[in-house]
Amino acid sequence: MRWTRAWIVMRKDLDEFKKQKLVVGSIIMMPLVLGVVLPLVMFVPMINMTPTTDVWDVPQLIITGYLSDDFIQPSTNRTLENVSMNTSVLTNADLINAQLTDVTLSSCIIENTTISHATIQKSILNNTYLNNVVITESEGKNLDGQNIVSINSSLSFTKIKPSELQLVLPLMLNMVLMIFIIVPATLPTIIATYSIVGEKNNRSLEPLLATPTTDGEILTGKVLSAFLPTMAATLFSFCVGVSILDYIFLSRFGYIPLNTTTWVLAMLVLAPTTCFMSILACVIVSSKVSDVRAAQQIGGFVVMPVVVLMLGVLSGFILLSPLTIVLAATAYGCIDLGLFYFARAIFNRENILTNWK
Amino acid sequence: MIVSEGLTKYFGAVKAIEDFTVKIPDGQIFGLLGPNGAGKTTTMRMLSCLIKPTKGNAWIDDLEIGNKDDAQKIRQMIGLLPEVPGLYETLGAYKNLDYYAQFYDVPKAKREESIKKTLTDLGLWERRNEPVGGFSKGMKQKIAIARSFVHEPRYIFLDEPTASLDPEAAKTVREYILELKARGDTILINTHNLSEAERICDSVAVVKNKMVKIGNPKELARGLFSRKIRITIDHIANTLLNELASLKGVSAVELTKNQLVLSVQNPEEQNPMILSFLLTHGVKVQFVSEEEHSLEDVYLKLIGEDQ
Repeated sequence: MRWTRAWIVMRKDLDEFKKQKLVVGSIIMMPLVLGVVLPLVMFVPMINMTPTTDVWDVPQLIITGYLSDDFIQPSTNRTLENVSMNTSVLTNADLINAQLTDVTLSSCIIENTTISHATIQKSILNNTYLNNVVITESEGKNLDGQNIVSINSSLSFTKIKPSELQLVLPLMLNMVLMIFIIVPATLPTIIATYSIVGEKNNRSLEPLLATPTTDGEILTGKVLSAFLPTMAATLFSFCVGVSILDYIFLSRFGYIPLNTTTWVLAMLVLAPTTCFMSILACVIVSSKVSDVRAAQQIGGFVVMPVVVLMLGVLSGFILLSPLTIVLAATAYGCIDLGLFYFARAIFNRENILTNWK
Repeated sequence: MIVSEGLTKYFGAVKAIEDFTVKIPDGQIFGLLGPNGAGKTTTMRMLSCLIKPTKGNAWIDDLEIGNKDDAQKIRQMIGLLPEVPGLYETLGAYKNLDYYAQFYDVPKAKREESIKKTLTDLGLWERRNEPVGGFSKGMKQKIAIARSFVHEPRYIFLDEPTASLDPEAAKTVREYILELKARGDTILINTHNLSEAERICDSVAVVKNKMVKIGNPKELARGLFSRKIRITIDHIANTLLNELASLKGVSAVELTKNQLVLSVQNPEEQNPMILSFLLTHGVKVQFVSEEEHSLEDVYLKLIGEDQ
């Protein structure tokens, strides 16, 4: 097979495709609606209803040991209100409504404060959001946060009542990820089902078949011309949708809930193989039927395997992880290869030219 | 050279063409004539390696039709104009031709030059970027014809090339075909336009699901019709007509107004004798010419006989 000829077929098809403004519009809009608007509609109301703090059962601790006076800093023995501080060491301070990052706190009373990347010892914490902190020999209540590392064995933070969002979040995120897999399976069906039968109906297939282009080159060109715009639109909507979700979660809860490895793997290997599978099935249908409408009607069924995968994930039978993504992509890749050889084997120029009226 | 021996195609039980045997030397224009459904397009498709023969063989430059290994090489050598233009309607004329030239590996510079020349000759250069979907039927046909030889093939198969063209465009296309012939290309034409075939074809085959007759248009006419001479005179006495009919080599005499039409075996030999007879009897001879039988006469006779 000569790739240059397949490339010419693809460029020719894309050139024709570009002239169909409505089709181009639908290729761009559909992933944006399904991958950006739909997740927002799903998540935003729930996020708004969810309190930013969770209820924690924090055991009362008796502070034991020596309260350090070793740190003599400018901020010692001060009451700090509405301050933002970075890279400081605080000792014996009262902190109210403060934003602190990369600090070491010792023997402080902390209220209504957000603390990131801190080491806290021998302090009392109330109504405080903690992110990536190490706490020892402290006590607190109404705390919230993530990556809280307790060094002191007597200190344990136990979340006793997860929010509704936290209960449904994994399910909803899986659903969003599956949307990004099902989009490249459904999006190219119209282009792909039109590929052969459309040319036949326009009577432009005979001159193409009379060129030295081989069956494999024609099929490859047709597949690529449906694949490239589909994946470009899908990846674009993925980047936009995920960025918005990340921003919302980060600004509201201070963390990003998406499992980056699984999601990126899904988009790089599972989405393309799913897309190829759908296109190849549609091209096969397109080369066997004699009417565009029939091709598109039958082509609608090619997304069924992807729907089955989606149902498996949503019902919990299939757990989405990097391993399952790679396994599914490998299986789809093998099916793609089989479909390509099958499509080439049943591509019959004589039948296409003489049996279609 | 195109050679076919007993080329036959059946679609199920339906016979499209049977026992098509022909030898078309290089540089010739060969016409395939026949009524609708006579198997002309099927024959052309078989020779283009688009469909396989049921029986028989054909070769183009020793490459065998129906042989999978040779099919791609044959397609590389030919240019095909199908029954309908089959252009990409949303693309411009230039792009339509450019994509096809690329399929045949024509280098970019040569493509540009060739397409510019062709579209200029066809009067379409100024509109090269307009979608061809908005063009008239004739303009589309011109582009489709240009597409069939944009890659300079040695063999060009044209199915009804001048159908739907206005007389001026048809003339341009005919001139193009003759130009291609002068370049040494071999051209196979399916046509219903008999006067066109008569004008440009070196040989023709009349087919009707089988080979009915093959040959040079003039030779075919001579083989089918007796030769006639037409003599324009001022006046002749009726009594002389019988004497004229009894002359050696004259088989029939008709008189219409002042036109004498004589069926003769060999005008080259008998004309002097006939003229001498008329002059001797005081008949004033104004013109002498041979009655020509058009290809249409030949075609209608052959097809009529076959029915």
